[in-house]
Amino acid sequence: MKEFFDKNFCLEVWGDYACFTRPEMKVERVSYDVMTPSAARAIFEAIFWKPAIEWKITKIEVLNPIKWINLRRNEVGAVANDKSDGIIIEDARQQRAGLFLKDVRYRIYADLVFIPPAKRKNTPNHLPEYLVDSAEKSELTERKLNDDHPNENPGKYNAMFERRAKKGQCFFQPYLGCREFSAFFKLMDPKKEPSVPIEETRDLGFMLYDMDYSNPEDIRPAFFRAKLENGVINIPDWNSEEVRK
Amino acid sequence: MILQALYEYAQRKGDELPEDGFEDVEIKYLIKIREDGSLVDLISTIENKKGHVYQKVPMRVARTSSPKASLLLDNAEYVLGIPKQIKENDPNYEAKQKKAYEKALICNELFIKEIENLPADVLNEKEIKAVIAFYRGNKQNGFDKIPFCEHWEECQKTTGNLSLILDGKDSIVPQLESIRKYQRFITAKKSETKDDSETDNTTGVCLITGEKSVITRLHSATSIKNSQATAPLVGFNKDSFLSYGKKQSFNAPVSVKAEISYTKALNYLIGSKNNRFFLGNDTVIFWAEKKESQSFEEMFSAFFATDFDNPDRNVREVKNLFAAVQTGKYEKIDSDSNFYVLCLSPNSGRISVRFWETGKVEQFANRIKQHFDDFEIDRAPYEAEYLNLYQILSATALEHKMENVAPNLIGSVMQSVLKGLPYPATLQQQCIRRIRAEQKVTRERAAILKAYINRFNRYKNIKEEVSVSLDRNCTNKGYLLGRLFAVFEKVQQDTHPGLNATITDRFYGAASTNPVTVFAQLIKLNQHHLGNYENKGLRITREKEIGEIMNSIESFPAHLNLNEQSQFAIGYYHEKQSFFEKTENK
Repeated sequence: MKEFFDKNFCLEVWGDYACFTRPEMKVERVSYDVMTPSAARAIFEAIFWKPAIEWKITKIEVLNPIKWINLRRNEVGAVANDKSDGIIIEDARQQRAGLFLKDVRYRIYADLVFIPPAKRKNTPNHLPEYLVDSAEKSELTERKLNDDHPNENPGKYNAMFERRAKKGQCFFQPYLGCREFSAFFKLMDPKKEPSVPIEETRDLGFMLYDMDYSNPEDIRPAFFRAKLENGVINIPDWNSEEVRK
Repeated sequence: MILQALYEYAQRKGDELPEDGFEDVEIKYLIKIREDGSLVDLISTIENKKGHVYQKVPMRVARTSSPKASLLLDNAEYVLGIPKQIKENDPNYEAKQKKAYEKALICNELFIKEIENLPADVLNEKEIKAVIAFYRGNKQNGFDKIPFCEHWEECQKTTGNLSLILDGKDSIVPQLESIRKYQRFITAKKSETKDDSETDNTTGVCLITGEKSVITRLHSATSIKNSQATAPLVGFNKDSFLSYGKKQSFNAPVSVKAEISYTKALNYLIGSKNNRFFLGNDTVIFWAEKKESQSFEEMFSAFFATDFDNPDRNVREVKNLFAAVQTGKYEKIDSDSNFYVLCLSPNSGRISVRFWETGKVEQFANRIKQHFDDFEIDRAPYEAEYLNLYQILSATALEHKMENVAPNLIGSVMQSVLKGLPYPATLQQQCIRRIRAEQKVTRERAAILKAYINRFNRYKNIKEEVSVSLDRNCTNKGYLLGRLFAVFEKVQQDTHPGLNATITDRFYGAASTNPVTVFAQLIKLNQHHLGNYENKGLRITREKEIGEIMNSIESFPAHLNLNEQSQFAIGYYHEKQSFFEKTENK
């Protein structure tokens, strides 16, 4: 069994607006002061993700001073339903105000964690039974890979990510907290271009780390105590004590 | 951060905040009854449009769409069964009004049942017996007699709270000691909760304390000016706001203990006079993290709002602030403790956060001082020394009315002051508009323009600065033209006393935007006026002044941009003020 190591990547992301919504002020959106690990993970996943890998955020650096803006937007109050004729804004208009961040720039560092084939979750086959050919069924549902497969190694996935990030390829446009706030990204080498984070140090209180999807029936939030030290937030490991689940 | 800061404040204040499960409520009407339940009268406690605030009454329940009654005090629908009035031109008027009547009956029943369900020892109290008799036993002399009371008409239209009081007593029924004991008992039970319907036993990590505990399903209401009385700060009242299949406040897990603390702190701050002031439609609350910064807390509102009880306070506090910054008092007190400012704005059944500022006391003190420094300008001795936000903002509004101020402007200006950033461009634009519309440059408007330009230049590291009083060496085009215009006006006023319309009324707009079109005519007029001087000495003085200004003007520009128009207004104002100076060195 070969021993594999996880490589750490750095992305610089920036955008005009950002909203890392606080769970308690979700209706009249109020953003956290800095990016949440959950949002950072979403940016990496927008560029590259497969069931074989997992992104673990290690550090977030704030490069631009924290600026706020208050906006009021027209939204809808009803939930879309495939049986209805659609939502008419005039009947279901809800105006929601929001306190968002302006002109943000971050450097996010994450480990690309390689998941050995044996430990990967069985991706469910979404085809209904009557469409699956019995001959193909074994191919589609059984796991062909085992841990000793020569092509299953982290180097492959690291290279894939690097290629995509350098070219600016992504599955969907990365966003800063909410989909409407698009993000621009660039792969960085921190040794060649060291960052200059802002000079702020403060305690940000409990911040949302990420959602715990281990039980799909009951998805729960996890929090950690975020401390901004000279513009850098060190993110504790998911399984450490600091993350309250 | 916000909830966390409120929670910490609640911990710091401890006993000064009302106890768990109690609050201080404004009650507008009281139903006065005798011991047998018969009605004495429906009294109103309203003075100056506000009802009397009763201390330490059982906390009202957080309501959603289904009716739920609070104990012994509630709104007119629950206490008296007055239904909601549907507008008569509403298409479904009859059906809706019928439904409203039914709902009111249900609510009233719930209210009475709430009282009837009290434990036996409380039911034995004569006040409670009287209340139950009022509704049940002695209904003809009690409940049915309400419509005959004097205040019935206005009571029907009110949305405020009502309660009951026994004839001959000073305190109202909810303030009874046995009721308080009962309330303490059920509040304690709620935080442990085994089978309280409000929490459904869900445990989770609280996002304020980080501990695993029971999560509350509904957060209590926070009533601010112009919002619905049942609007909570943390609430999810429409399906489109929910996520991950969670209902209501499970979308944002806060433990019961933390929720009680922070809502208590929040309501206390909103209710207190010392920790809040109103900015137009918004409510601004502020508090200090540590007790030592209390003095700054007390001063804070004076910088922004007028204290109607004590108008001198504004000036006094600003002077104290200047003195404190000079002596370095704030640096010594606290280099570590924070000061928080939270601005809340009502928005259709919810409360939204307009802005949230944190910082060290010293930082805020310096920035506020900077704000007052920027606004300093030459003024008449009878005018107020320091301007508060209302005076500044109403100067940009039609008829000086606060409701005509651009909606976002109030919050933006306050934020600029607290953050030390340039003022919003809207401030300059609205100010210039008002000047053009009224052809009048008042002290407030000149101060606004000066402050705007100075702050903007400072932010962009441009060395130009507008002075407090007349600057004879300034070569800014707009400034010089403004000065010239003021002298022309003065000449006209000197030679034609008692004029109804001076050149300011006729030509200000054109002179400040397209000088080349009007200045030729103004100079011609000026020559005529100069000829009318009887006092030769005064004529020479004026001519000298004009000469001095014209010296620095190369040509009359075709168009002045907004900044130059501001300079025009300031120059005009400075020159006018200089005419009032005692002639010491002329």
